[in-house]
Amino acid sequence: MKHLNKIIFFLLFFSSSYFYSQLRIEITGGTDEPIKVAMVPFEWTLDLAPPFYLHEIVKKDLESFAEFSVLNPEDMLSYPTLEEEVSYRDWRLLKVDYLIIGSVLKSEIEGEVNISYSILDVSRQKNVHKALMMGSLGSLNRIGHNISDRIYEKINGIPGIFSTKIAYVDKPVANKESYDLRITDINGEGDLSLFLSSQPILSPDWSPDGKQIAYVSFEEGTSRIYIQELSTGNRRALKHEKGINSSPSWSPDGNFLTGVLSKGGNPDLYLYDLKNNNWKQLTDHYGIDTEPDWSPNGKSLIFTSNRSGSPQIYEINISSMRVKRKTFEGTYNARARYLPDGKKIIYVHRRKGVFHIALHNLKTGKISILTDTFLDESPSVAPNGNVIIYATKDKTTDTDVLAGVTINGKTKFILPSASGGAREPAWSPILDKY
Amino acid sequence: MTLHRRFFILTAIMFGLSACTSTSIERTSDATAVSASTTSVYSESSLTSSSTVYFSYDNYNIDSIGSDKIKNLAAIVKMNGLNVRVEGHCDERGTREYNLALGERRANAIAELLIINGVSKANIMTVSYGEEKPSARGSNEKSWSKNRRALIKTF
Repeated sequence: MKHLNKIIFFLLFFSSSYFYSQLRIEITGGTDEPIKVAMVPFEWTLDLAPPFYLHEIVKKDLESFAEFSVLNPEDMLSYPTLEEEVSYRDWRLLKVDYLIIGSVLKSEIEGEVNISYSILDVSRQKNVHKALMMGSLGSLNRIGHNISDRIYEKINGIPGIFSTKIAYVDKPVANKESYDLRITDINGEGDLSLFLSSQPILSPDWSPDGKQIAYVSFEEGTSRIYIQELSTGNRRALKHEKGINSSPSWSPDGNFLTGVLSKGGNPDLYLYDLKNNNWKQLTDHYGIDTEPDWSPNGKSLIFTSNRSGSPQIYEINISSMRVKRKTFEGTYNARARYLPDGKKIIYVHRRKGVFHIALHNLKTGKISILTDTFLDESPSVAPNGNVIIYATKDKTTDTDVLAGVTINGKTKFILPSASGGAREPAWSPILDKY
Repeated sequence: MTLHRRFFILTAIMFGLSACTSTSIERTSDATAVSASTTSVYSESSLTSSSTVYFSYDNYNIDSIGSDKIKNLAAIVKMNGLNVRVEGHCDERGTREYNLALGERRANAIAELLIINGVSKANIMTVSYGEEKPSARGSNEKSWSKNRRALIKTF
């Protein structure tokens, strides 16, 4: 009877999509054999009906990048809640690699719930993770994303990214004079406007703690870098210099920003001290130096320079100030970003007149083209290094969309935008510490 | 949607979010909506667009049609004691921040030609919008050629 109740609830909620979302993931490309996971609908001991089903949230999350396939409850042979109730034979028959079981229990505290669950390795018949989580009923969907993150981490060995956010600039096709800096959860929930302007906004970049976003705004009729605090909405303008003020990038310790100023007559890299509010020049070349990004260890920067005649990627060591060219293939390589290991970079690469996102191993020099869409730009790496999001053009509708690809190039997806003008995605760091 | 209405809706969304009860699962970042500051927003209405000069791809050389335009404009500017704002623009190809740099080269080329034609440097300001303010939509050469431009505005 208990099981029947669960199934009825499951059927009731199955067809409902829980949130309105502007951006949502749609898988477009093929994949490898995914890891098979089964999550038994958690036992629910509260008097009221659940507002969300954790197994539905987890299924949607884990299947986002086609790395996992999550079994539907109606295909299960048994519905265990406790480890001793598990018949591993059932799950082996269904070719399940990992089984998640658990329950949502009433808490002593009003409005709170306790969730206990286990991740079981079916082939080894072993409990690989046991957890107890506490939270409000209202935060059940967040708890669901946190559980997804943990399952991902326990199985794949790298952090899950289902609680992360993406900042992007929205420029609706229908309105020429509207530039909207927005933020959305990776799962498409909670899409919010941070700053709306009649003048261009570009280059959002997250602070390492995920609490602030730096960006460029033309609201004063010229480019200027601003920092906005997410919790309060407070904005702080960096010291403005004549000419271009662009390309903010936070240092890994959060104390500095690099930016690009052209006050010296042409664009060069500068370092902004957030305590003392001053700019210090880093590069000095008559060519264009722009688009800096900090190495994860904070010791060097990669940037775009046309000092050789065409835009190429260079690396500068912050202490020795030595500059080294990194790209030699093709006549357009720009806006590079480090992967979290610091050993690989991604950038915009032009081949036969077409712009794609390339992955470049700095040690071996191996370059692979990850994308096959049109006019690809602004790549941003997920904090676990496994997925890349970038901006591209949907040729058929002539609209700006965000798209993504896993770092192995196997799974491709798009995030359709309601306004037709999503661009400049910036992936947040890991935000939720569980 | 007006800014006001938008702000109202966002506030409503935020209120809805904050109405959730507290949770022991810590969330380090929750976004709050903010509307654009209205005090220092730049207005284009005080400027009269006077001239547009077009450029070829990845290039900031001014052709003879362009330089004739600038010569005429320089004479008007000097005669009437006007100020000039030069805006450099690019087509959508290439990265946005690199295009900001290219747009600035176009604006600077126009500014230099104005100075050669007798306009005082003090009366000229330049700004690059890169590819952020295209005048024509579409990913084809017809649109791109219209977007690779410098606007010379007098006031």
